[in-house]
Amino acid sequence: MSHSNSFLTSTEEEAKEYQDRYKILYLVVGVATLLIVGRLWFLQIIQGQELREYSERNRVKEVKRPAPRGLILDREGRVLVDNLPGFEATISPQYATQLEKTAEAVSEVLDVSAKEIIAEVKTSRRRNGPFRDVRIKDNLTLEEVYRLKMLRWDHPGLKVNEVIVRHYPLKENGAQLFGYVSEISRQQIEKYNKQYQGKFIFEQGDIIGKQGLEEEWETLVRGTDGMYFVEVDARGREAVQENSQFLGLEPSPEVPGNNLILTIDKDIQQAAYQAMQRDDKIGPRIGGLVAILPNGEILAWVNTPSYDPNEFSTGISSKLWSRLINDPFKPLRNKIIQDHYPPGSIFKPIVALAALEEKVITANTKIFSPSQFKFGRRVYHNHSRTNYGEIPVTKALELSSNVFFYKMGISLGINKIAKYASALGIGHKTHIRLNNEVSGLIPTEEWKKEALGEEWQPGENLSNAIGQGFVLTTPLQMALAYSAIGTEGKLYKPMLVKKVISNQNTIVKTFESELVRDLSQPQEEGGTPLISVHSFKVVKKGLELVANGARGTARWWKIPGVKMAGKTGTVQVRSFSADQIYDKCLERPIHQRHHGWFVGYAPAENPLITVAVLAERSCAGSSGGAPVVRDVIQAFLKKYHPEKIIAPQPKPEIKSDPDNTENPESAENNDHSE
Amino acid sequence: MITANNIQVEGRTLFNRVDWNFAFVIFALNVIGLINLYSATHGVHSSGNSNLFWMQIIWLSVGWAVYFVVTLIDYKFFIRFAYLFYALNLAALAAVMLFGKSFYGAQRWLDLGVFRYQPSETMKFVMIMILAKILAKKKITDGLSFKDLALPGVLTLIPFILTVKQPDLGTAILIAAISASLVFFVRVKKSILIIGLLIGVITAPLVWNFGLKSYQKNRILTFVSPGRDPRGTGYNSIQSKIAVGSGKVWGKGFRKGTQSQLEFLPERHTDFIFSVLSEEHGFIGSIFTVSLFIVLYLMGIRIATQARDKFGSLIVIGVLSYLFWHMFVNMSMVIGMMPIVGVPLPLLSYGGSSLVATMAGLGLVSSVAYRKYLF
Repeated sequence: MSHSNSFLTSTEEEAKEYQDRYKILYLVVGVATLLIVGRLWFLQIIQGQELREYSERNRVKEVKRPAPRGLILDREGRVLVDNLPGFEATISPQYATQLEKTAEAVSEVLDVSAKEIIAEVKTSRRRNGPFRDVRIKDNLTLEEVYRLKMLRWDHPGLKVNEVIVRHYPLKENGAQLFGYVSEISRQQIEKYNKQYQGKFIFEQGDIIGKQGLEEEWETLVRGTDGMYFVEVDARGREAVQENSQFLGLEPSPEVPGNNLILTIDKDIQQAAYQAMQRDDKIGPRIGGLVAILPNGEILAWVNTPSYDPNEFSTGISSKLWSRLINDPFKPLRNKIIQDHYPPGSIFKPIVALAALEEKVITANTKIFSPSQFKFGRRVYHNHSRTNYGEIPVTKALELSSNVFFYKMGISLGINKIAKYASALGIGHKTHIRLNNEVSGLIPTEEWKKEALGEEWQPGENLSNAIGQGFVLTTPLQMALAYSAIGTEGKLYKPMLVKKVISNQNTIVKTFESELVRDLSQPQEEGGTPLISVHSFKVVKKGLELVANGARGTARWWKIPGVKMAGKTGTVQVRSFSADQIYDKCLERPIHQRHHGWFVGYAPAENPLITVAVLAERSCAGSSGGAPVVRDVIQAFLKKYHPEKIIAPQPKPEIKSDPDNTENPESAENNDHSE
Repeated sequence: MITANNIQVEGRTLFNRVDWNFAFVIFALNVIGLINLYSATHGVHSSGNSNLFWMQIIWLSVGWAVYFVVTLIDYKFFIRFAYLFYALNLAALAAVMLFGKSFYGAQRWLDLGVFRYQPSETMKFVMIMILAKILAKKKITDGLSFKDLALPGVLTLIPFILTVKQPDLGTAILIAAISASLVFFVRVKKSILIIGLLIGVITAPLVWNFGLKSYQKNRILTFVSPGRDPRGTGYNSIQSKIAVGSGKVWGKGFRKGTQSQLEFLPERHTDFIFSVLSEEHGFIGSIFTVSLFIVLYLMGIRIATQARDKFGSLIVIGVLSYLFWHMFVNMSMVIGMMPIVGVPLPLLSYGGSSLVATMAGLGLVSSVAYRKYLF
């Protein structure tokens, strides 16, 4: 082959010119190889394990699956609170690439405006970041679910999730007792995590119990959330890959919470709610009702007006929330323990016990009880302004004579009254396991000096002796005190939860009723009891007369075959000028009306149930409280002791209906006017 | 000695004169590249990418056709038209500036209808040819003088500046690196070497302040401390290091690399193809691949030493420096030894222009080998 190209003059010798240059090439390649291999060695061998773990964490996302909360059952195992499967629609801000269009489409299916959806997603993205799904609507109907699922393909980020919804089949009934659930607040996360010190970990988005049993028993009811791992790609999308191994990360399935078995009886609870909704002249009662067994077990717990806790399970609207908190009758409050009230005349039996024990009177001592009574410079009245003449203590209770108890108050003094009231639990927390219980108040001379810096005035003995003045109590305290009177001395701790059972049906905890003290037993070895059985029997006789005596203040309310005992109370919450006093209470504006109390038990000799009712603004205990208590006791006896009830005659109460004949309202109208 | 060679030559057929060992090593790298590309383009969510694999096979076929055609043509043929190629390629680079397609904020491609042509890619080979032509004519005794370097310098500077302006700093640096390799291979006077070094040290701060765009500075800063912005500029570097390191000794297995399959790795079928390989085949697989490249270089250097003329030697050295610098820069960036610059890994990265150009370059080497015994 010839090489005629003029510019190519190279020969073999000339090519050898480079011979000594090649070693530089070997050197460069050698150094480069060393660098690369050295670096690979460092990354893959030395840092290999660390970077492998890092790559695993990179792709593994923890997904929390909330455990279903435990059920709340009544004493017979019937459901009071359970869980329902539900559907919610959410939008993931990170994937919602065409938010406007998506919102538009979703608003057509759901009854939510597109503007609202966009605003909500944008707010959440700003506040919680793009990874947190934004809930658009809960409680979807099956049709909505179906239509949304069709939309999903064209609208990235739109999701329909299956969720567990806490369900309260009794709705408004017992809402304050069971409580409700909703998302944990930022402050609560901090508080709870501090409180439980890592035993339970609360995070944003967790659903927790608020109020009532749901809150109080949170840690037992909530269960353990499941932890799953999914593989995600760099954009957070879940990858579908089989046989994924995540460096020994074991998924933990969710464990449902424990079930609570309550002392509540669903039938009695419903009867009690019905009774509070009584359709009479006063109308649905505002207040609280608690029914207990002699050993402190609570059968029914009703506060009215109420709210539907199901609304919270699915995310309460701000409109409804503001309506609830602005309602003057406080539907969210557990009035049975959360509010204290002056007891009024239902305090009188306690003063009677004190008078008997302190030997101020005997069962037969007759005290002159005129229509009015002058003490110091003031004149005190009997509520009906009737002169009762000379009456014993039983009669004084039957008639609810103020003057009789004014005299007892003068003779006893507040400290002696306080001793017996305290022994019966009044003015002290019952330590029922529910939040926000108030203690109430039993004043003493020392208390007033300390709290108000003033001397106790002798006149105050009078008002406090009839449950006005400083005395404050709760419906629950009164129920327990009356139960102690009925059982002649046995004061029990209130009990709501009988048993905690796991989802495997094993017993986690059992609770026994707890006797606080037996007042009829000697206080110390060989001593004397605080209150003798005899005194109890005397007071019980008086209470029996209230419902059964010819002039008893609650004589209209009877249960055929069974004698009910109890005491009415009417609490004036406002002072009236002289001309207003004689106005009919029910004709006054509602905020000027009296509160009515009735605490009763049956049968009168050997009570099986005690019921306390506070009926705010019902004007009188006799008409506001007594019929409600009677209804509940009757329902209880019908269920548990039907043999004790005489078959009801056709509507016997029509004749004795106070609206027709005698009006109990007038009988006790101006109970405590001064 | 000459007679002996002639006797040898007569005994050889056309077929036997091709260096099949060299071709085999290239083919082995092709196969590794394809296996790896398949994995990189068949991730969990990348169904839309799977045709890239078949495209690469087509490009590979084209590449091998070019390889053999170039092998059979005397490399001197190309040298003859070196200046013409240079002028055409410069025109193409200028055209890119005017009508080029813009991707990721840079204009690098000319749309030729059937495919997109990246003139800066072929410029590298044109530089090899033109410099080989110039340098082969020099009679070297004590190295190239300043006068000798003037023309090569100017010829390099023009495409360098045009490429920087695209902006494609990576390719520009590689063009400069290939030119410099050839010049240094031929030998440069010691005084010039020292002066060049000094100029470099002095101009570096000026280039930093006035020559580099902010994203380019960012890349360098991020390289120095990747934790600076792990979700931003440093992300690619960190994810790539995790991918490589997590492969450990044996790798996670074919298509089991979570970093690549789950798209944590960016550009995994092009610039970051080596991290896919390192993740799935570990230290062993990486070393094996690096070794194949080394074998290719050693075989190439051997061909250069046996070339029948200086011109052939320089062509081979030029192509080898092309391969070497691409490999070294790409791997260094993938394993975190260098800032992220967009340089593909020859024979392994997806991309038609790069693959066909590489195969053409290797064809030149093969052509030199083919003619080593011919005079």
